[in-house]
Amino acid sequence: MKSVFPYPTVFGDIDFEVASVTVDGAPLPYAQVSTTERTVALHRAGREHWDRATLRLKARLPEPELAEGPWTDITCVAVLTEKATNARTTTKLTRTPDGDWHGAIDLFKHHHLRRATVTVNVVGTVDGIAGRLIGSPEQVWYVDLRESTPARRREIEIVEVDFRDGPHDWLRPFQESPWIVETSADTPTVYLNTTAVEGLMEVLCVKGGSAAERVLRDMTAGQIAQDTWTAMFHTAISDLDVDEDGTPVMPTGWREAVVRMMLPDVLPGRQLTDALYDINERRTQGFGWSQLQTAIQYAAGRRSRISKKLTSAVRTVDRAEKSVS
Amino acid sequence: MRRAIPYDVPTVLGSLPDAAVAKYLSRAILSGQEAPPQVALRKASTPFSASEARRHTAPVRQLLDEAIRRFADQRTSADGWLAPRLHATLRLTRAEAADSRLWNYLALLVAPDYVVWRHKGTETTATSRFCGAHYTQTFSRLWWAAELFRDGADYRPVEIACRVQDVLNTTLRLDVIDHRPTALAIVRILDRLIASGTSRPGDHVNALSSAVNTAGSTLVYDVLAPDPGGDGEALLDWMAAAQDAPAVPWERLPDGPDDGSVSARSVDGLVTLFEKLLAEAPRRQRGTAG
Repeated sequence: MKSVFPYPTVFGDIDFEVASVTVDGAPLPYAQVSTTERTVALHRAGREHWDRATLRLKARLPEPELAEGPWTDITCVAVLTEKATNARTTTKLTRTPDGDWHGAIDLFKHHHLRRATVTVNVVGTVDGIAGRLIGSPEQVWYVDLRESTPARRREIEIVEVDFRDGPHDWLRPFQESPWIVETSADTPTVYLNTTAVEGLMEVLCVKGGSAAERVLRDMTAGQIAQDTWTAMFHTAISDLDVDEDGTPVMPTGWREAVVRMMLPDVLPGRQLTDALYDINERRTQGFGWSQLQTAIQYAAGRRSRISKKLTSAVRTVDRAEKSVS
Repeated sequence: MRRAIPYDVPTVLGSLPDAAVAKYLSRAILSGQEAPPQVALRKASTPFSASEARRHTAPVRQLLDEAIRRFADQRTSADGWLAPRLHATLRLTRAEAADSRLWNYLALLVAPDYVVWRHKGTETTATSRFCGAHYTQTFSRLWWAAELFRDGADYRPVEIACRVQDVLNTTLRLDVIDHRPTALAIVRILDRLIASGTSRPGDHVNALSSAVNTAGSTLVYDVLAPDPGGDGEALLDWMAAAQDAPAVPWERLPDGPDDGSVSARSVDGLVTLFEKLLAEAPRRQRGTAG
């Protein structure tokens, strides 16, 4: 959704990229900066202790439009933030003769936890008011401190562990369950039980196999996915904070991603903020909460592509039976 | 009188996962009738290394006991006294402070009595005071208030900010105060409101915070009031110095990490702008009786 500004803003494209990264002065391998994913992965095995990463940025603004437009004192600043640590660093970019804007921004490791966001703001004086935001790029860059491969999507963690005799005490009560989903931590985690169903792990983790094995693998994966989506959605909306006038605030981190992805399927045809308000009402007041479960189930099913998997499973079983008879 | 704590406090701080809190935080604990189950919670937690002095619980525990003694009659006033001292005792990086497990550990294993003393309502304490968002949890809200409102090594703005609960309840959760000059400009105006004897400064602060936040979506404060940011190395030196540092003073303010103070010019510029915003901002309407 585009914000509306009460003054003229830049229409043309504003684009920027992280050109290179150094960590404590040493260049970060090229493979850890991805322009297509717009992500930097800072983690390197065997190098846990570092203090400062410097990101060299290059931005391209629609220069002809800026030259003709009603704006003066145009500056371009890079902004590095992370919500979890309330960190905010800015640096001014300078315009080079070739028309690009260049600059470097420092990321102090101790000011960040997981994933920082980098964007640029184009700022100018409009109608006599200085410091107006007149443009920003469509997409931000991410700087991941914990990953070594630059990927925009964040995956959930999957842990294979023995629930019965394994290292986690708290899993013991669930020892008969083939998997459980844990969503209270930073990253949602699926714990696969290596001992509840004999042979299941082999089927799940091996590639290829017979048609029947593939069907079983797909179906199990689909079911785990459905459970995970449902659990993540419930957790995401149960943690909603409200501001002073009672409007629920969009959660942060993975919870935000889950809400944004699933809410349009749970309450279709609504604005995101309205849908969030509605869902919080229903949860706190209890009204219409049970009806919502069907919609959540539907949304989770869509995310885990359960229908597609079931269809192909039914076909495979059908074919197998026909070939026997 | 020193109150006896009915359980052993672990000697070293640690981290306690949210899941464990949810499991053991019962109504009896929230109402202060029972202490949290020490053995189970210790099993579920991971202690930090005892070799670091800043990880020891004794200085924190002394501080909290003193806060309870000093502010027995007016528990909300404890916040302004405790925030800078807790910050200077724990000496954390922001990355460490962003981990809720440390705050869970403090609330359940080191000082559940403090949480209940400070935040108990008529019957119980809100769960979020034990385990919750950075601006709600009993100890993390104080730590973040100190971190976001300090001016380099100077904790005086923190004391002022904590004098009005609305700053902790409302302003602290806004992203705009992540910009240091913005946070300090809000405190400067709050100081003026208190000094001039304005009634209900909290209502003014709420109005101001929301006006500053709204204006912040079209105005880039970073450009209006440049701030080069804190010096990361000074913070690390300050943390390392914790090893030999004496306990924080009770009567005067401790010194924070000397990571560079905010440019006075930047703050001045914003104060002028914010005063204008405050003058135009709608304040909460209260009935004549209230």
